[in-house]
Amino acid sequence: MSLKLNQITEQDISLERSRFPRVFSKSPGELAVSYLLWGGFSLLTIYCLYRFNFFSYDFVFGLGTLGNIIATQMFPPTGFAQLPLFGKAIAETLAMAFLGTVFGAIVGLPLSFFASRNMMPVRPVQFGFRRFADLLRGFDYLIWALIFVRAIGLGPMAGIMAIAIVETGTFIKLYSETIENLDTKQVEGIRAAGGSRLQVIRFGVMPQVLPVILSNTLYMFEHNTRSASILGIVGAGGIGFLLSDRLRAYEWQEANLIIILIVITVYAIDYLSKFIRERFIFGDRDRVSGPVVDSDDV
Amino acid sequence: MLKLDHVTKKFGDYAAVNDVSIKVPTGQMLGIIGRSGAGKSTLLRSINRLHDITEGSIVFKNGETSVKVDRLKGRALLEWRAHCAMIFQQFNLVPRLNVITNVLIGRINYNGTISTLFNRFSASERAMAVRALDQLGVSEQCLQRADTLSGGQQQRVAIARALVQEPKIILADEPISSLDPRNAQIVMDALRAINKDQGITVIANLHTLDTAKMYCDRIIGMKEGTIVFDGLPKKLTEKTARGIYGVGGDATDEEFSTAITSTTLGAA
Amino acid sequence: MSIQATTQGSDDAVRNFESAYVAYQRNKRTFNIIFLVVFALCFVLSVVSTEFDIVTLIGGFPRTRDFLFRLIPPITYDEFALDVLDWYWNIGVWMENLLNTLLMAFLATLLGTLVGGGLSFFAARNLVKHYATYWITRRILEIARTVPDVVWALIFVITFGVGPMAGVLAILIHTIGAQGKLFAEVNENISQHPIEGVRATGGNWVQEIRYAVLPQVMPNFVSYTFWRIELNVRSATIVGFVGAGGIGHDLFIAIQLLEFPDVGAILLIVVSTIMLIDIASEKLRHYLVGKEALKR
Repeated sequence: MSLKLNQITEQDISLERSRFPRVFSKSPGELAVSYLLWGGFSLLTIYCLYRFNFFSYDFVFGLGTLGNIIATQMFPPTGFAQLPLFGKAIAETLAMAFLGTVFGAIVGLPLSFFASRNMMPVRPVQFGFRRFADLLRGFDYLIWALIFVRAIGLGPMAGIMAIAIVETGTFIKLYSETIENLDTKQVEGIRAAGGSRLQVIRFGVMPQVLPVILSNTLYMFEHNTRSASILGIVGAGGIGFLLSDRLRAYEWQEANLIIILIVITVYAIDYLSKFIRERFIFGDRDRVSGPVVDSDDV
Repeated sequence: MLKLDHVTKKFGDYAAVNDVSIKVPTGQMLGIIGRSGAGKSTLLRSINRLHDITEGSIVFKNGETSVKVDRLKGRALLEWRAHCAMIFQQFNLVPRLNVITNVLIGRINYNGTISTLFNRFSASERAMAVRALDQLGVSEQCLQRADTLSGGQQQRVAIARALVQEPKIILADEPISSLDPRNAQIVMDALRAINKDQGITVIANLHTLDTAKMYCDRIIGMKEGTIVFDGLPKKLTEKTARGIYGVGGDATDEEFSTAITSTTLGAA
Repeated sequence: MSIQATTQGSDDAVRNFESAYVAYQRNKRTFNIIFLVVFALCFVLSVVSTEFDIVTLIGGFPRTRDFLFRLIPPITYDEFALDVLDWYWNIGVWMENLLNTLLMAFLATLLGTLVGGGLSFFAARNLVKHYATYWITRRILEIARTVPDVVWALIFVITFGVGPMAGVLAILIHTIGAQGKLFAEVNENISQHPIEGVRATGGNWVQEIRYAVLPQVMPNFVSYTFWRIELNVRSATIVGFVGAGGIGHDLFIAIQLLEFPDVGAILLIVVSTIMLIDIASEKLRHYLVGKEALKR
């Protein structure tokens, strides 16, 4: 007998419903949860939109202004005569990212040994180092940059310090996680051969973790290029200063050129970093995906 | 009746199906055999219109109405696919959805896009889905996730999904290749029963000769995209089979020996 | 013994291996030298470009230290409560703005995930028929993501005025880009079988997405979204620096006015909020992952 929808009767439905009630409707609990979730999220969203004035003339007016600027004032990008100036600022941005990353790595690497469980047997010390790293990472680059601009003055040094501080925290976390994941056989081998603590680190730990560490460091450099491009907004050097200056002066066409330059630079660094990681540090592509934290955020 | 006229499907310069003409009367159970790469899958996918054909025509006649399958577009094409249910070697269920939803997917063509977005199906359709699962003996599992089922059960769910499509034809692309002998038999029995009891045309690609001989009304042998054998199962001797598989004389060949020796279904 | 049975051929093999090994070692050494030279060059160029000056840096240390020490005002044991209250004299305003910050992050994450998630299906090569659709969507997402959110905030503060609206929009645009790109990559890694299954039943493109793609990608989407909330709370605390609302604005003003205890008070609020959000999000994510694992 063939199965046809129009031959299914009310009796059939009630029979099957009594056999498998959950096929026909969700359980009251599931229903409640889904209504609560949908209702809650919708209400909260509407409240937020209301709270931030999205249901107002301001929003519509702003959209109009934005559309007008994009349509009439941003294109074509101009200011090519200032390219040397912009180029210098981009170079400064890259230099800030580079030095900040290097300093962060130099300070972070030794500290990461204190923060990894298998290298630091004293648990409170290990825990303390981890929380210290969280504290450094907890504040955004811009916050540290503001502080350092106040302390050591306007300019790229403040930006470098901001990146170095955050990266110290990030690297302690990343490196110590790498160290905790290493293969213990090699370490035990060196220890069994009578190696001292430092020798264990040099011959048992470093060869294993070095590729991962290099890869992560490069990845964070790539990431910091993005961060460094905005630090100038608070006066901490780099292209961000020029960008905020042009935007605040309503020089939309020049601002547009700067944004394009930033995008090109970020792309180039992304590509370069990926290339180096794939080609030189790891042979296979599977292991190249960046560290688990912070990837892709800015 | 399904009529294929000089059907050719090319991928680049390579003709996977080359000038194939067949007529399949309504209610026939047709088996297609041949080496892997002989164009069996491509042929079935051409009929379901999962891809376009390069040359030729496919016509489906049902009483007075006739459909030019190769010309279908848009809504009509989707309707044709619904009427021409397909079963796959890898079952092609959605692993993370439960069994009943997987079966109800067979009904999405009959429902509006918006209502299906919210997984809304009528009570009759739900009852129908349970009935279909009953026919295949897997209704007890209807609220389990599809990926918790065994391969044989998953293929039966896939057949139930095909049934709720109210199909005129069922295309089965290597339906038992991923199954153990016992499950293979259950699945083939189910397909045969659907064919016999409901009068639905079944076209199945099979990789074992004895399965084809045991279950099918008619067998087609394909080699390098063309039809090299078309006839009753009893006409298919080992010699003809050697021809289809391109194995000359006494020479043996791994794929051919698997095809003739493996899994003697229903022998018990 | 088998070793004595070695033929001329395997002697060659040994020699080949040895020469290959020597070449490998030489390559490695060359690579290391090149690496060090490039690194040193970059370092020197960077130092020159940023006019990095260790003396100024060390000169700045005492001031940084002072700065950090003055973040917390003297709190005495005798009048502990009063001192703390005095430190957090502006707690009402700060809490209000902290709430704004969190709601900004929520709104931007939710809307950004919905829009970015929707666009991600057009940016996955395996899901779209026309390469042009894929290419254009990808470029739009990349631009939205590559331009930092603070830059979007700068732009929107000019066009929408100072306030949280600009901040929400800035984080929203960035979230659309970031989620869209991540999700698109998730989409591209799914199994094609269920899609084919749904297509063969006569489902249209939207139904393929709903029934074959969404169930496969949902766990990853959810986990990325929790992660995005953490990142967006951070973003929402800093867009205030350029006037785009939230507690960042208070922080910016306090630093500009050198109100050190205020800076300290706000920083403490910010860092504890971020840590709480991170922990809560991680717990929730693990809970959901655990639930997911049980279902299998």
